[in-house]
Amino acid sequence: MDRVTSPWGRILIQIVLILFAIYSIVPFLWTALQSIKTVRDANSRRPKFIFSPTAENYQDLWLRSTPENPEALAFFLLLALVLLVSILLFAQYIPGRRTLIYSLTTLGFAALLWGIPQLLDTDRFYDFFLNTLIVTVGTIMISISIGCLAGYALARYVGVMGVILLLAALAFRALPRFAYVLPYYWIGSWLNLLDSRILVIITLVAVNQPFTIWMLRSFFMEVPKDLEESAMVDGANRLTSFLQVIVPVAWPGIISTALFTLLLAYNEFLLVRVLTQTNWTLPVAISRFTGGEDPRHLTLAAAASVSATIPIIVVILFFQKHLVKGLAAGAVKG
Amino acid sequence: MKRSIFLVFASPSIVVMILLMAIPLIMALWLSMQFMTFTNVLEPQWVGFRNYVDVLEDAQFWQSFEFTIVYIAVVVPSWIVIGFIMALLLDQQSGLLRGFYLSIYLLPFIIVPIVGTIMFRQLFEPSGVLRWLYQEIFNQRFHYTEQSVKTLVLFHGVWYVTPFTLVVYFAGLQTLPQDLLEAAGIDGASRLQKIRYIVIPHVRSLTLFILLFSIMDSYRVFDSVYVLTELNPIYKAHTVMTYTFQTSMRLQRLGKANAMAVLTVIGIMVVLIPNLYYTWKEQLAER
Repeated sequence: MDRVTSPWGRILIQIVLILFAIYSIVPFLWTALQSIKTVRDANSRRPKFIFSPTAENYQDLWLRSTPENPEALAFFLLLALVLLVSILLFAQYIPGRRTLIYSLTTLGFAALLWGIPQLLDTDRFYDFFLNTLIVTVGTIMISISIGCLAGYALARYVGVMGVILLLAALAFRALPRFAYVLPYYWIGSWLNLLDSRILVIITLVAVNQPFTIWMLRSFFMEVPKDLEESAMVDGANRLTSFLQVIVPVAWPGIISTALFTLLLAYNEFLLVRVLTQTNWTLPVAISRFTGGEDPRHLTLAAAASVSATIPIIVVILFFQKHLVKGLAAGAVKG
Repeated sequence: MKRSIFLVFASPSIVVMILLMAIPLIMALWLSMQFMTFTNVLEPQWVGFRNYVDVLEDAQFWQSFEFTIVYIAVVVPSWIVIGFIMALLLDQQSGLLRGFYLSIYLLPFIIVPIVGTIMFRQLFEPSGVLRWLYQEIFNQRFHYTEQSVKTLVLFHGVWYVTPFTLVVYFAGLQTLPQDLLEAAGIDGASRLQKIRYIVIPHVRSLTLFILLFSIMDSYRVFDSVYVLTELNPIYKAHTVMTYTFQTSMRLQRLGKANAMAVLTVIGIMVVLIPNLYYTWKEQLAER
């Protein structure tokens, strides 16, 4: 649409945009503020905006006991984190094989995550955090691998069977979680897999598969057909031409889909709540802080909420383009 | 692509969906005819349709169904109207600020729903800033009552999904037919006329898509209601999903909960079948 040109019109639009931004962000700001207050300040009936900030809620949440030299440890951990992230960011300028660099940094992250409980007396929240990471990464790996194959096949096959599969997926996507969760509980207790990560990962892959194949299909449709045809003329078979020619071209779309799979796995509450008793992921762990008589719950919930949101905000900052693209493509079919 | 190759490529996905979606759905039907608690999960007792009779005679189930319908009726139109208006306004903004606003607007939709609801709730805790403002402005205390909790659930519903419709409409606005708009401008069409006769028809298929999916999604709203009501029956703000949860996890009537899930599936068919029909037509036309 053409722009509004009158100055009053522009000012009005700006005001509405800013008000909507405030409306979107107020709960975040308030919770962040609450999370750095002492329990007493946070529970004061008159909201306090001037107070001396404290890290004790975060410490209560993540650690069982105070470390002896917190500054040195914090410095060391931050340094390791900054180092790993900057290697990832500038990987393309480092000479040497890309895959080697990426696998080494992944190993570095794993070592860091493994090392933290050795250095610090971490609380259960850290275990839940690790659990969430494992579940999320596992779900993305399996879901995207099998989803890419099916999405590509659906994009290229013109027969009616493809339509039937797409419609079945659409129907499965629309059904309430409860139609699956209780049967999963039954299957879990039958196979004696309740409270295991593998059950959570497999069921998360399943409930997200319909969405994944629809989205990946829409991205593979954008890849021109002549690409793999010319590769196949050169003697490559379907699978090699798919892996070596199509996947690299469709890579941005695959990243978008992986991003949504990440959010879906990271966000899942009901499934994890029903299928696990101790191996919780973050949403279930955080829901335990709501309500109750304990006044500490208010600040702990705030600190836990902020802690769980920071990784997501980092992801948005890095991948905003992919995210918007994915939402727009998802609009083709959720 | 040949059919055999299609099947080879799609088979892992098909196997997962048959094993973990189609079969569980049939199991849900079977489980809904059992009497089952957490102590006899593997040796349930066959009771036939008694669970269904139980559900249909349960006043609380109907109450939760009613609130779910209210939720859909309030929340879905708000998403569409607010999302569309905000997309139009955001489209007026260019440059860096546009991306900045978009990032902020997306936040409520992107974060973990449980966490978003907890953050939202923090505003209305006894020490929350909005509760305090409410008391200062209206000079009366804010209580968690049936009325206020229901309002919070609806308000939160509007708050956290509007970003989705906003982005979808925003993407739709980027593909407007420019020549048509210019021609309309030359003919002296006002801005409102352009929106009415060009923009709205252009986003019609998007609106249909949003409508179908948001009705299906809001029908199964769970996380936010779980946090805001803590499943406390005092507020009478159960939705079908939270009531099913209550029946299964707290009251341990797993068979009855399965019957509810099956009834919910049947309820969703009302929206799902037109959606499937529409997609079927569209897909066949594409080929």
